Amino acid sequence: MIKTIDLSKEFGNNSVLKNITTTIQPGEVVAVIGPSGSGKSTFLRCLNLLEQPSSGEIWFHDNEVANSNANKTEIRKNIGMVFQHFHLFPHMTVLENVTYAPVKVKKLKKDEAEQIAKELLAKVGLTDKESSYPNRLSGGQKQRVAIARALAMDPEAMLFDEPTSALDPEMVKEVLDVMKDLAQTGMTMVVVTHEMNFAKEVADRIMFLDEGRLMEEDKPQTFFNQPKTTRAKEFLDKVL
Amino acid sequence: MNLDFSQIVPSIPFILEGIGATLKFVSVSILFGLVLGTILALCKITNKKILKWPADIYTSIFRGTPLILQLMLIHYAIPQLTGYDIAIFLSAVLAFGLNSAAYVSEIIRAGILAVDQGQVEAAEALGVPYPAMMLSIILPQALKNILPALMNEFITLTKESALVSTIGYMDLMRRAEIVGAQLYRNFEPLLIAGIIYWIMIFILTNIGSFVERRMRQSD
Ligand SMILES: Nc1ncnc2c1ncn2[C@@H]1O[C@H](COP(=O)(O)OP(=O)(O)OP(=O)(O)O)[C@@H](O)[C@H]1O
Ligand SMILES: [Mg+2]
Repeated sequence: MIKTIDLSKEFGNNSVLKNITTTIQPGEVVAVIGPSGSGKSTFLRCLNLLEQPSSGEIWFHDNEVANSNANKTEIRKNIGMVFQHFHLFPHMTVLENVTYAPVKVKKLKKDEAEQIAKELLAKVGLTDKESSYPNRLSGGQKQRVAIARALAMDPEAMLFDEPTSALDPEMVKEVLDVMKDLAQTGMTMVVVTHEMNFAKEVADRIMFLDEGRLMEEDKPQTFFNQPKTTRAKEFLDKVL
Repeated sequence: MNLDFSQIVPSIPFILEGIGATLKFVSVSILFGLVLGTILALCKITNKKILKWPADIYTSIFRGTPLILQLMLIHYAIPQLTGYDIAIFLSAVLAFGLNSAAYVSEIIRAGILAVDQGQVEAAEALGVPYPAMMLSIILPQALKNILPALMNEFITLTKESALVSTIGYMDLMRRAEIVGAQLYRNFEPLLIAGIIYWIMIFILTNIGSFVERRMRQSD
């Protein structure tokens, strides 16, 4: 569904992504892991063109989107994103956060969008918070709203950039549980994470990035038990 | 010191009529300045030089010269150059609106830049087009932070509005002057005008605080 070919990104002369070639299949859950600064976020942000790649190709279904003047809106409508720091709209209630884009971008009717939003909020366990403002919510609740907001666009794939890294430990589980449920529904997911257990349990595939290179990609079983590269071994020694 | 208000009592309604004139031109100027200032601010934050430069030059000129000079230029120079007489009200609104836009644009620009970049990314990631993002996500958040600065600008404009008496606009100030000249007593009419200005600013300040409190509801 999403395919990158020799995807590279430089900031000035800092080469952050180097020739990443990979294919994300429909329904697949990919965990992207690697040391800090290895380019995980940049890779993710290239996929929905929040970052313009310096070279290489990105294919979404049968369209090359990185080099063509493809409509970025079309791609972003179909790929949801969840950020480490939530980025909820603070001046809107939870319900408004979730209905805003469907109404503005997909031109849904307001009551239609609210119907969908309420179902999604129920799914992430926040029915009672729909008229709260984001600053009344805990971190875990904010992130669940952010997930509902992204899902409200009915995307084909979801990108997560360290969705639990900014959370207090006791809130990590509630967010991971929502993500697990989502994975079970067959959602295509690319998740940058430091939660190795989540990666092991939920991911179909691990992408290990190091200094901008895709050093290894494999099934979690294989990757965690028999990493092929010394870089991966060193990394796993540190985090496990 | 002998204050005598009995003589000017008959002239008080004449002075009070100036309140409407002042309010009318101040509110139109504020609105004009706000709209133009927002547009200028949006030009300043783009990376398109073709928009940024004119906006920067505009601001530099209108902030770098006296308001009274701008007012005189507009009121007396336009007829001289074009042969068309310009109505006093129009000159006043143009001068104050254009001038205010320069200040407002700087306030709004700073406000927009202070909004968390994550908000832009969240909107972009949802496919929200730029104009909608600015109008319903970035500007409302910016506005909340800059409201005190904007109120300050509106208060300044209201007070400075007395300058239009110099081109003959029949505002509060001008009427007080006229009454003063008629009665050969300046203190009393000026005192009345001063109190009215103070009350207007007092009300404006309170409206500002009220709006600010309303906007902080989400905090
Ligand atoms: N907008 C930018 N401008 C310049 N350099 C950037 C920018 N964004 C990222 N970088 C650089 O690119 C490199 C990779 O950053 P990236 O955020 O992708 O790493 P990461 O793997 O997500 O790290 P972390 O685990 O800390 O989030 C870093 O050296 C970073 O400084
Ligand atoms: Mg990162």
